[in-house]
Parts: sequence; C-alpha cells; structure tokens
Amino acid sequence: MQEPPADRRGQGALPRGMGGIALLYVEDEADARSMVAKMIAMNYPGLAIYSAENGAAGLRMYAEHVPDIVMTDINMPVMDGIRMSREIRNLNPDARIIAVTAHSDTSYLLSAIEIGIHNYVLKPLNYQELFSVMDKVLEEIVLKRLVEEQNRRISESERQLSAAQRIAHLGSWQRHLPSGEMQWSDEMFRICGVEPGALPSTYLSFLELFLPEDREKIEEAMRDALAVEKPQTHHFCRVLRPDGSVRMVRIEAELLPDQKGRAESVVGTCHDVTELKEAEEQVRSLTEGLERRVVQRTSLLQTTVSELESFSYFVSHDLRAPVARLEGFCRALIEDCGVCGNPSCRQYAERSEGVVRQIKLIMDAFSSLTHYARCALAIQEVDLSAVARNVAEHLGHEEPGRKVEFIIAGGIRVQGDATLLRTAMEHLLGNAWKFTSKRERGVIEFGRMEKEGATAFFVRDNGAGFNMKYADKLFKPFQTIHTPGEYPGGTGIGLAMVHSIVLRHGGRIWAEGEVDRGATFIFTLEQNPESGSYLKEG
Amino acid sequence: MAESYILLVEDNPDDAFLATRIIGKVCPEKVLLARDGEEAIELLHRMTQDQSYKQIRLVLLDLKLPKISGLEVLQAIRSSDELRFLFVVVLTSSDNDLDQERCWELGVLDYIFKPMAAERLQSVLLRCGRG
Repeated sequence: MQEPPADRRGQGALPRGMGGIALLYVEDEADARSMVAKMIAMNYPGLAIYSAENGAAGLRMYAEHVPDIVMTDINMPVMDGIRMSREIRNLNPDARIIAVTAHSDTSYLLSAIEIGIHNYVLKPLNYQELFSVMDKVLEEIVLKRLVEEQNRRISESERQLSAAQRIAHLGSWQRHLPSGEMQWSDEMFRICGVEPGALPSTYLSFLELFLPEDREKIEEAMRDALAVEKPQTHHFCRVLRPDGSVRMVRIEAELLPDQKGRAESVVGTCHDVTELKEAEEQVRSLTEGLERRVVQRTSLLQTTVSELESFSYFVSHDLRAPVARLEGFCRALIEDCGVCGNPSCRQYAERSEGVVRQIKLIMDAFSSLTHYARCALAIQEVDLSAVARNVAEHLGHEEPGRKVEFIIAGGIRVQGDATLLRTAMEHLLGNAWKFTSKRERGVIEFGRMEKEGATAFFVRDNGAGFNMKYADKLFKPFQTIHTPGEYPGGTGIGLAMVHSIVLRHGGRIWAEGEVDRGATFIFTLEQNPESGSYLKEG
Repeated sequence: MAESYILLVEDNPDDAFLATRIIGKVCPEKVLLARDGEEAIELLHRMTQDQSYKQIRLVLLDLKLPKISGLEVLQAIRSSDELRFLFVVVLTSSDNDLDQERCWELGVLDYIFKPMAAERLQSVLLRCGRG
C-alpha cells in the first residue's frame, strides 16, 4: 500500500449539499480495512463510512444503513464479494458497487458484469486510482440526486398548476399551427364537461366545443394572436357541454414563437366565467331595478314637493287677500262701533282682530317653515364652534343680568349652509337660554359625541327640561309643552325650523330630557350634504 | 269748483268697500268704481271725450283684474296724450317683482301690497290730497 499523494488532501471533499452520502467498505483483512477506511474518511469529510469483515456481515450492514456506495473485496471468508454484491443488487438495483480486486480472469469479469459492478480498483490498492473512482461514483450520485430533485420540482409545480387551474376554472391550451394538433390542460377538458383526454386534441374538435354562432370569435382570437401588432384582446364564447349545459368562457390567445422566432404555436387560456357572468348580470339587473326605483321615487318626491309648493303659494298668497279683508272689516268694526254703546260689540271686534293677527302669524310661520324646506343650500365648511360662541355672546348682550356659563367645544367644523346652520344654532341655544332663565346659574353646553358609530352634535342645558312623553311634540310647529306664560317669547316654530334645517342637511334631530333636570338636543348632519334645492330649476 | 274724483279699479267688492271706506275718511273726493280693466278703460275714454278726466285726482289700480289687467290699464293711461299725467297708485297682492318693476317704469306714485294697505293708503291719500 503506498502513501496517498499530498495534493489529494482536502480535494475529495463531498460536493456541496451532498450530505448524507454513506459508504460501506467490506474487507476481511483488518489492517487494510482500518487503514483504507481512515484514508477515505480523511479525504471525504462528511461521508459516512461503515465497514464489515466479510460478505455476510457486509450484507447485514447494507440492509441496516442502505449506503449509497459499496466498496468490497472479492475473496473473503463466509461470503465472498461477488455473492454479497448479487444479494445487494437484489435489494437495490441502483446500488453503486466498487470492487477491489486482484482478479482479472474471465469468470470474475463475467460475474462482475452480470451483477452490474461497473467500477473496480485493482489490488494492491493505489490511492490515486481509488480516489478517481470514488470521485466518478460520487459525481454520478450527485447528478442522479439533482435529476431526482428537478423531477420532483417539476411534478410538484405541475400538480400545483393543475390544482390552480381547477380552483380558478382556468383551462389552458396550445395549438401547433403546422399540424393542427392541440394540447389541452386537464381543466380545459373539465370545463368542456368531459374527462381529461376524452376528446381528440385537434383544432377541429376544439372549435366544435363552442356554439356554432360563437366559432367565428375563436377564429378571430387566433387571427388576433397571429397579428402581433394588434393589442391583446379577449373573447367571450359559449361552450356546449355534452350534457346540454352551456358555459360562458373567456378565451385569450397569444402567439408562442419557437426558438427561431417562427410562428409555430398559439397558446391560450379558457376561463370558465359562467358564475362570474351570472353574478355580473344579477348586479346589473339589481342596479337597473334600483335606478328605476330611484327615478320613480324622485318623481314622486318631486310631485310631492311641487304640491307642497303650490300649497304654500296658496297659503302665502291666495289666503292673504281674504285675511287682509277680514282684518280690514275688523278694524272698520272697531272704529265704527264706538258709538254703538254695547260693550260686548267692541270687545268681540277687538278679539276678532286678535284672531286675525294669530292667523297672520301662523301664515308667516308656515311661510318660513316652507322656506327652509325649499330654499337652495350653499354648502361650505362651517365652524359650528365659532357660530355657537357668537350666538352665546349675543344672548349675553341681550340679557346682561343673567348668569349663564357656556361650555363650547372647539374645532367643530361641518359641511353645510352657513345661514341655515346659524339659524338652527340660534334657536337651539336661544331655547336653552330661555329654559334656564329660572336657574340661579345656567349651564349651556355645545359639543360633539359619538352616537351609533356616527358623529352627533348636542346642545345641553340644566334648565326646565321636559317630560320624555312629550318628546315627539317638540319639533312640531305651534306645539308647546309648557304652560302658556311660563316661558314667554318664541314663535312656536323655532324647533320646527331647526328640524327642517337638520333634515335638509341629511341629518336627524331628537331630544332627551327630564322635568327640572335639563334637556339635551342631539343632531347629526350628513358629511357631504347636497347643494341646491329639491325643486327643479326654472 | 267742479267735483273731483278718485277712480278705484278693483274687482273684489270687499276690497272695493274697504278702500272706499278708507278714502272716505281722509278725502272729500267722490269714488268712481270700475270692476275690471275693460270698464276702467271705457270709463276713462268717456271722461277723455267730455273732458271730465281733468277732475280725476288719483287712480287706485288693482293689478289682477278680469278681462284687461291693471298693468294694461296703466299702459293705456301712460300712452294717452290726455291721461298720461294722471296720478296712479297700485294696490296689489302680487309680489311679482317684474310687475312691480314695470309699474315703477311706467310711473306710479306708490305700489302698495294689499295685506298692509290701510295705513299706507291713508298716508298716500293724505299726501296727494294736499297736492
């Protein structure tokens, strides 16, 4: 046995990433066995090495560890190398066996060829020769493993592609132009309602899948694919399944040139969009229905509004003349009955005049109320905090003797009509001012709160409050819930106007309160209220 | 001195009555009543012929009238050589801005909305009664 060449050291390391390779060395001569095993271990760090002293022990060892490489002596007691190799080959036809032999006779060679021993190293052992054989075998193993890994990856991605196609209902196909042959993915077959491979894969049978009136679209898709300068388009076609059902598919085709750039094939996809199309159709019909209803309701609303319009015209114009006449007659009566001597006469005339004044007040109130329902809104940003502070200041100036604390939250900005919102704030704060008049120390608060996920605004006071069972009456015109004379002043339509204004801003208003424990008026406003008016222009 | 008149053109009998009553309280003039625009124009035409139009101190004119409107009566007055200088006061319940503008253009002494007629009518009457 000669010394290993110095330059071999470290070069026989296992190829990168090839951990887990094992070698079984079978040799009956103990010194040689340990020496060679040591030498291999030194040159191939990372290689697992098992050794056995004869064929029988080697076979047991093989069955236990299934090493990639078996290096064996031929002449051994108990079981020789040839027999062991045969047995190993039976267990694993791919086993790589290196024979270490002094034999060169024909019978040995025949046996070795028969068993499939492709590599051998002659005795006496030459390390250079051994390592070159080892390198060759290892390289084969590495290559084999690489190929296996690639195959595994390919079949994995094929499996994924097929699953993805199945999940997405997306089939694919490829048409070879010169031959007319086609390849279809499994999903392509399934979309057409047949088992994969159940139809001949030709362009003709492909065309026949579609409804006759849609076949021209397929031809067009093919022509478009060939005309490279054309932008890629898609076509919706209908597939007729053998069971008679019809599927809507979206076909896309693209030219696939061969390696020399010749127009050899067209590849494409076939996407089953039946359900998508149905859903789309449903959405469209729902939308259309909704639009029709909106149009209907709008016209109903417009009718109602114009009826309201003519009604309010009737009140503010047609009714005014007779009321003015009535007023004139009352006046005439009062003036002329001074001489009549009957005191009831004059009193009745005066009270009649009072009634006429009431009628005129109601008519004026009605006109202002309808004004808020009809007028055009000019939407802009309004600083409600600033409006509240300003209104509070005015109230304070009017009655400087009152002790009222205003707590006004800052930075409340909304979108709305500045004039209308100011009117609303004037009424709400004015109301709070009025109903805290009997308090030693009034507290009026304006702020913002979250109500059912939306922003709401509130005006709260510690004044007279109200009984919640009258809460509905608060916003109706001329409905008062306090005894006449208890809180004088006010038109009886203040809150009704606020209600109108809030409605015009797409909001809601309500009140919470308790007798003698104050009231809170809460309102919301649409974030982007519509400008203009409900009435048609002109 | 010949009698002088106030011509009241008013279709509503109640309004005519009330206006006459107010006129009677502050003016000595006799009230001539025309109950629509046609009657007013005919009356004015006759008064032009017999020259009695000169005795008209004031025309109180409603705008909304049957047959011929108050505005047309006003136009007829302003386009007549004889009548063009007559004092006219409009008494109306119309708040139509165009009507009002047109009336001021044609020349009126005042434009009175009916619901507040009484006091203002009295003051207008007193003003032109002194003239």
